[in-house]
Amino acid sequence: MDAQATSVLNRIIRRIPNKNIENLLKKWNCLSAEQLRALDYTRPKWMIVEHVISFCEENRLNLKHITNLEMIYHIENPDQGTWYACQLAEAQDDAVCVELTQFKEHFKAHLHGVIRHISIKMKKHEDEAVWIRIAWGDNFSKPNHLKPTYVVHHLHTSYVFISNLVAKHKIFLCQALVIATKHGSIKDGHLSTKSLTAMRDLLLRRYQQAFPNEQSRILQDRNTLSSHPCIGKEHSDHEEMRHQMSCEAFGHGPSPKLETAVYRLETRYRGNGNHTLSDREEFFRGVVRFSSSSLLDSLRHCVASGMAEGPVTPLLSAITQRGRNYFVITDKGPGVSSQASAQRA
Amino acid sequence: METMEQGVLGHLMALEREGMGQQDQHESQRLEMLKARAVTLRAKRDQLKHQTDVVKILKDKISTDLPLDDDAAAAGGFTELQKSLLTAWRMQLKDLQRAHHLIGGYDLVECKEGKSVCVSFHTAFEGVYLETYNMELDLTRTVQISRHNIPPSFPLESFAKQILQKDLKAFLQTLSQNLNALAARRRQVCLLKELVGSVEVMESNQLCNILVLMCTAQSESPKAVLCTLEYADLTQCLPTRVRIECEDKTLSQSPQWKKNQSLLLESPAHTAVLTMRRMGSIA
Repeated sequence: MDAQATSVLNRIIRRIPNKNIENLLKKWNCLSAEQLRALDYTRPKWMIVEHVISFCEENRLNLKHITNLEMIYHIENPDQGTWYACQLAEAQDDAVCVELTQFKEHFKAHLHGVIRHISIKMKKHEDEAVWIRIAWGDNFSKPNHLKPTYVVHHLHTSYVFISNLVAKHKIFLCQALVIATKHGSIKDGHLSTKSLTAMRDLLLRRYQQAFPNEQSRILQDRNTLSSHPCIGKEHSDHEEMRHQMSCEAFGHGPSPKLETAVYRLETRYRGNGNHTLSDREEFFRGVVRFSSSSLLDSLRHCVASGMAEGPVTPLLSAITQRGRNYFVITDKGPGVSSQASAQRA
Repeated sequence: METMEQGVLGHLMALEREGMGQQDQHESQRLEMLKARAVTLRAKRDQLKHQTDVVKILKDKISTDLPLDDDAAAAGGFTELQKSLLTAWRMQLKDLQRAHHLIGGYDLVECKEGKSVCVSFHTAFEGVYLETYNMELDLTRTVQISRHNIPPSFPLESFAKQILQKDLKAFLQTLSQNLNALAARRRQVCLLKELVGSVEVMESNQLCNILVLMCTAQSESPKAVLCTLEYADLTQCLPTRVRIECEDKTLSQSPQWKKNQSLLLESPAHTAVLTMRRMGSIA
């Protein structure tokens, strides 16, 4: 095993807590049962790493197997690093007929055509997700396996999730995706999270949405304490309406665990009256950032409890409706997808 | 003068006493005022309640076609009210009927005070109701889809681009057709997995436009047969092409398997496979 393989293996094993290493190695299926039994997971990490390296050398494993291990690890623990969403646009007529083998072939063919040294690995997971691991080299140097890019795509959807991509390789990856999926272009999705699961849940709509039809009326669990039965009676309608409104905007039940939403302001200051600031032509730049351990749950609670006034402002409901968490607000009126009038905020 | 003799502190204390006294006074005044206001509001509320009750009774009578007893209603001066209620009701029903025809008979619910409508698509296959998909359409300026819970692999954007602006009814029709077909194909795959354990689903996808099955053919030595079902027409729940592949070429060319191929083309996947098993072609 060469130096790069050992350093990749080293990095993987160091990252995982000792109790999970066993499962990962079992799934990898490259070490024999006796070797697995021989490993003692109570030892310090560096010892475990050395043992595993020696077993790998015994079994004559090479970089390919190690990268496979890394991929398995990432598929099992997808919520690491920062993920970005991109959206494919301008689907051609036969985009719907693209099947997995076709996609794989075209993707690999394109990248191998533009970069001489590149290592691509593709795996299809049970939930229809295609995981791609790319180690980039260039025309002169071998692929760098210590900084691989991971790409996740669900066939026939227009979303691609990317982690760890540097700017210089972005154009090659985008071209390959566009060609392999038979679309016209790809653009930035304005959504970035630490958790791939949250991003996928949000964009692939794997959470429960509420709609204004009669069938989707959300029943509220009555645990509200009211100090006076009359107050409770008067408020019950309003509470129900607020609850319905909050569920329509942010989903019902467990929502995707987004952590942040960022609004960049490029608006002019509108003070009340005759402040000198309002005469300026320049923008009053600012950034509003919402952070939470589960942003959508917090926003939903804000609206349902009456802390935020209804109807829910499109700036906040756009998080779920458009599936993004980065917005630029300018002074132009509503109607453009990423912008909203400053007064509404 | 008097206060100045008592000193600054004394002056301040006197002011404080004055202020507190005035507050009490103001408070009690305000309390009285509010109580009186509450009483008048309650009286007004009761009056309005009575009025709405009368109107409701009238409306109910109209809707249930009961004869309106003229003396009781007219006594309260409600003849004009009756007439206007009847005409309004009739106009509303006519408008509703026209709207229903316009939208092709789909259930549209108005929301956000007329700025958007919500439509639901029900899907069913073989007499079983499957998923219901909802879609909210924004009606300000042009008709646009604002949100929906249709699966992302469904080519909704291309349908919207082609048809939505021109003809809402055709758009809803196309969507309903395609969604029903998708639900049907998905159900077939589910049923295949549930009912037929011996057949393995090698490949399928979210859009269910390709299905690859591995069956074991019953012959002297059991052989693996790969059936590829391609659904090129997404409005149909039956495949457009079926390919049978086997290492043993004679088996795939045999009349029995030709029959199986046409079975797979003509009936839903799970029924075809069950029939094949019953006839003994596969395990």
